[in-house]
Amino acid sequence: MPVQKILLYPHPVLKTLCRPVERIDGEIAGLVGDLIDTMRAGPGSVGVAAPQIGVTLRVCVVDVSASRHGKENNHGLLVMVDPEITAREGAAIMREGCMSVPDYTGDVERATSITVRFRDGDGNDREIEASGFEAVAIQHEMDHLDGVLFLDRIASLKTGLFRRKNYS
Amino acid sequence: MSECRKENLAHFAVTIISKDRPGIVADVTEVLYRLGSNIEDSSCTMLGGDFAMILIVSHEKPFTKVRLADEFKALHEQTGLVVYVRTLAEDEVCPVKGEGELCLISVYGSDQPGIVYRVTRALADRGVNITDLNTRLIGTREEPVYVLMLEAALPEGLTVEDAERLLEKLKKELNVEIGVRAITPVSL
Repeated sequence: MPVQKILLYPHPVLKTLCRPVERIDGEIAGLVGDLIDTMRAGPGSVGVAAPQIGVTLRVCVVDVSASRHGKENNHGLLVMVDPEITAREGAAIMREGCMSVPDYTGDVERATSITVRFRDGDGNDREIEASGFEAVAIQHEMDHLDGVLFLDRIASLKTGLFRRKNYS
Repeated sequence: MSECRKENLAHFAVTIISKDRPGIVADVTEVLYRLGSNIEDSSCTMLGGDFAMILIVSHEKPFTKVRLADEFKALHEQTGLVVYVRTLAEDEVCPVKGEGELCLISVYGSDQPGIVYRVTRALADRGVNITDLNTRLIGTREEPVYVLMLEAALPEGLTVEDAERLLEKLKKELNVEIGVRAITPVSL
C-alpha cells in the first residue's frame, strides 16, 4: 500500500463529483490503505480524500490526533466511506491550506460541530459528533468528494474584516 | 520557492492611484495585457475617494521601467491616473517566508494621534514582521473611532501570548481595545 502522489489543481479530478462506494471490497481496502499512507507521509497532513490521489469514490481519511489543534479533541483515525453530515452547528473561521493547492491559504468559515454518518473501512455503520479542528478537517475532506476546494469557500483573499463596511 | 525567480524576466513594482471610478482596473490591465506583461502579485483597494493599485509586474527581458511607464502615458493624459514604476532587485522578487506564528491583531478605540505608530513600534522593537495592515476611521463625526487590523509573523520564540502581553500596556495608555489571535494556517 504505497504512498500516492497528491494531485494538484488544475487536475480535473479535483473538480469531479465522486460516486458512492457500493460494496466495500479488496479494492476499497487497498484505496483506504493508500489514503492512510499518503496522509501519514504528508508533512503535517491530517486528512486525504480519494480524488486527491485520483480516485473518484466517496472515501476519505482524517486523523487530527497528532496535530496541535486537534490532539485534545478527536476520534483518532477515521476512515469514512460515503460520509454524510446529518447535523451542523455554529460557525468559525479558520485559515486553511490544502495539499492540492500548494503555497496558498485562505480564511474559510465552517460549522464548529457536526454529526457525521458513514461506514468505516470494515463496513460498520458509524455516527460520530465531531467538533473543533476535527470537524473542520472532516468538512474540508468531504468537500473534496463533491469537487469543492477551499478556494470555492474563501470569503476574501486577504483579511476582509472591517473592509468596505463604511462605504455607502 | 525558487520558481518565482525566473532568469529571463524583469520585475517591476507598479503603483497606480486614481480618483475612483468604474473601469480603472480594466484600463490598467489592458495596457499590461497588450504589452505581454504578467501581474504576479497585486493588492488593489479603495482608499478614501481614490482607488489604489499596487502590482508586481514581470516582463520578458530586455525591458525597462521607462518603457513600462511610457505605456501608461496615454492613460494618464486621458484620465489623470498616476503611475509610478520601480525596478525590483533580484532578492525582492520572492516573498520572504517566516517560520514563526502568524497572528491577527485588531486595535480599535476613540480616534487619537499615534495609534498606528505606537502599536507598530512596539511590534517592530520585538522583531515582529507585519504582513498586512488596514486602518479605517469609523463612527460618527462627534465620536470618531479608529480601527486598525494587521496580520503579522512573530519571530521565532515569541508566542501569541507574548505578543498579547507586549501590547497590554498600550491598551491602558491609549485607552483602546487590542485583540491578538493566532491565525497560523492549518494544512489539510
